Amino acid sequence: MPTLKQPPWLKKTAHSSPVVKVTADILRDAGVSTVCQSARCPNIFDCFSRRQATFLILGERCTRRCGFCAVEKGVPGAVDPAEVSRVSAAVFHLGLQHVIITSVTRDDIDDGGAGHFARMITSLRKICGASLTIEVLTPDFSGNASAVDRVLAESPHIFSHNLETVPRLYAKARCGADYERSLRVLRRAHENGRGVRTKSSIMLGLGETRAEIAALLADLRSVGCDMLAVGQYLRPSPLQIPVERYIRPEEFSEIREMGYTLGFTDVQSGPFVRSSYRAREGVRDGDTGQAS
Amino acid sequence: MEIQVKLPELSPGVMGATISLWHYTEDDTIKRDDDLVEILTDKATFNVPSPVGGRIIKRFVSEGETVHTGDLLVTIESTQKPL
Repeated sequence: MPTLKQPPWLKKTAHSSPVVKVTADILRDAGVSTVCQSARCPNIFDCFSRRQATFLILGERCTRRCGFCAVEKGVPGAVDPAEVSRVSAAVFHLGLQHVIITSVTRDDIDDGGAGHFARMITSLRKICGASLTIEVLTPDFSGNASAVDRVLAESPHIFSHNLETVPRLYAKARCGADYERSLRVLRRAHENGRGVRTKSSIMLGLGETRAEIAALLADLRSVGCDMLAVGQYLRPSPLQIPVERYIRPEEFSEIREMGYTLGFTDVQSGPFVRSSYRAREGVRDGDTGQAS
Repeated sequence: MEIQVKLPELSPGVMGATISLWHYTEDDTIKRDDDLVEILTDKATFNVPSPVGGRIIKRFVSEGETVHTGDLLVTIESTQKPL
């Protein structure tokens, strides 16, 4: 299949701002990983110029082989307990008000890494203070409800888990995952989260239809998902599955409206939207301190 | 003084990018932060802004060529220092 020509709206600026370098230096010196770098995110200049980053924990190697993702795959090493301190120090030095913590999938660990997520939240509150708002973007923990509860027990403000795409395309884009299982994770977070807000993100341009998108959004609402992020799938390299279609900005606007009509409280929808992109804007004024 | 403008690091692991459009030619005058050159990666198209204002002395790569992080793109005669 020939590579599609990139449309004119997929254009970014490669800032040479000193802040970009400062951010990169803080992250490098702290010895932490970010999904911004691992996933080759095109928003990296925007985010780094605002001292924003999304942290990738539980190592840099993923046990799943999702067709869209550029994160390194294979057998991961042992989880490094000191990682939580390093990430907390980086968040402190960057002066973040809102942090997003995500991870590779760790099917090799009994709790899928939930305990590490929980310790990460505890450490962030201890080092950065209660005013930091915390968003976790977790894997599906193989559907392990007690693992989800382990994370929820630390009261993150936002619990995110991404459906990524419509169920028909899971075999191509998200092998090893299960659409219904992911919905159950989000339902569990909604029901057991004691006020936590739940969020999910999807990518468009993999061949989904508008009817499939509408059904997915309705599925998310049926499990109580509050927040939605919708962006264009962009192939990180020729090793990943190709883009089927570039979605026009006006279509993203239509999907945003669809989301609000269905009852999502926050919908980010646009070509460069990612689950973590400008996520601070989705944080409510009341989201300070520990979620109750 | 002569300022060398190199391709910034777009992201670790991005092996190369293609010069898709030069916004300025040699001898043109450019202002700081004006889009200097457009480059194409697998994920997106990036405009690289000029770090200084001045006169373009020489372009070192042509449209359609592949470039890598740190490659010299252009030299600019300028009285400004890059930020």
